[in-house]
Amino acid sequence: MRSSKIIKTIAQKLFPFIVLFGFYLISHGHLSPGGGFQGGVVLGTAIILLALSHSIEQTEKKFKSRWLNMLEKLGILTLIFLGFLGIFLGYSFLGNFLPLGKPGQIASGGLMLPFNIAIGIKVAAGISAIFYALIKYRGEI
Amino acid sequence: MNPVNISLLVCMIGLYGVMSKNNLIKKIMGLTIMNGSIVLFFISIGYRKGGLAPILEKGTTGGIPTIIVVDPLPQALMLTAIVIGISVTALALALIVKIYSKYKTLDIQQLSKER
Amino acid sequence: MFKEMKKVFFIIIILVMTILFILSVDIEYGNPKNLDVANYYIDQGLHDTGAINLVASIYLGYRAYDTLMETIVLFVAVAGVIFCLRGKR
Repeated sequence: MRSSKIIKTIAQKLFPFIVLFGFYLISHGHLSPGGGFQGGVVLGTAIILLALSHSIEQTEKKFKSRWLNMLEKLGILTLIFLGFLGIFLGYSFLGNFLPLGKPGQIASGGLMLPFNIAIGIKVAAGISAIFYALIKYRGEI
Repeated sequence: MNPVNISLLVCMIGLYGVMSKNNLIKKIMGLTIMNGSIVLFFISIGYRKGGLAPILEKGTTGGIPTIIVVDPLPQALMLTAIVIGISVTALALALIVKIYSKYKTLDIQQLSKER
Repeated sequence: MFKEMKKVFFIIIILVMTILFILSVDIEYGNPKNLDVANYYIDQGLHDTGAINLVASIYLGYRAYDTLMETIVLFVAVAGVIFCLRGKR
């Protein structure tokens, strides 16, 4: 199906704002409603918007599918690695070993910010990988 | 008319969709509607009269908060339930794509005669 | 045979639904009986984890194990979808 010029231009102009909003939701996960899962879904939606307005071949030149698969595996390995780092430093598994800080600032809550970033990257790459696999199927059995 | 009634109504709508529609995609939509009704039921249980959202103010330094706050535990459990719901829906839709490419139909009466 | 089974199921489901509907109209909504666990999370949440968002302090602080397992479930779902729609080698 052909795509019109209006949708292509508007989607290109809206893309940075959606990515900025996704990063805001991830990084302020412990101060206001949001968190890793919500911000990750918003980031995945930005890539899906680009893939729907332009054709899938043009979007795959910029956001390659092998990079998305590798980012997803890296996200979950970071989560398990942060858990084992708690055992090596004397606390329990997934224990809190960073200083707590003042409540109300971004650098508070200990290990919550690295958790949110890892979960956000993993969910964004996962949703995009599911969408790529469903669109590129060409009817082979 | 409290939220327990409304969640029961939405669950029955989803159950009707699963039971009596012949298309496979409409059955999967019924499952998603039932998932949403259970999430609504759990979150509406932890409500206290006159309570606000469970987020404290910026300048507090600890201790018992001075405002009345709703129960934050069911909301944390329902985050997991929503994520598991979408992963089940994604796998079911991938299987539906493979079924259509082999049998060329999505009607469940004709599929049960295929063998 | 299929059509009669569907009609019997419909009647049973509508009966159960009306009974549950009538029984749940007059429940006390907004006054939970025991709030021991919720009061513990509200009072001690800021002191133990240092986050203002109480929901985030539950699912990333007290119960981080469940969040890790849920991430693994999402990973298995993505792996299953990619395996199912692979195509010709």
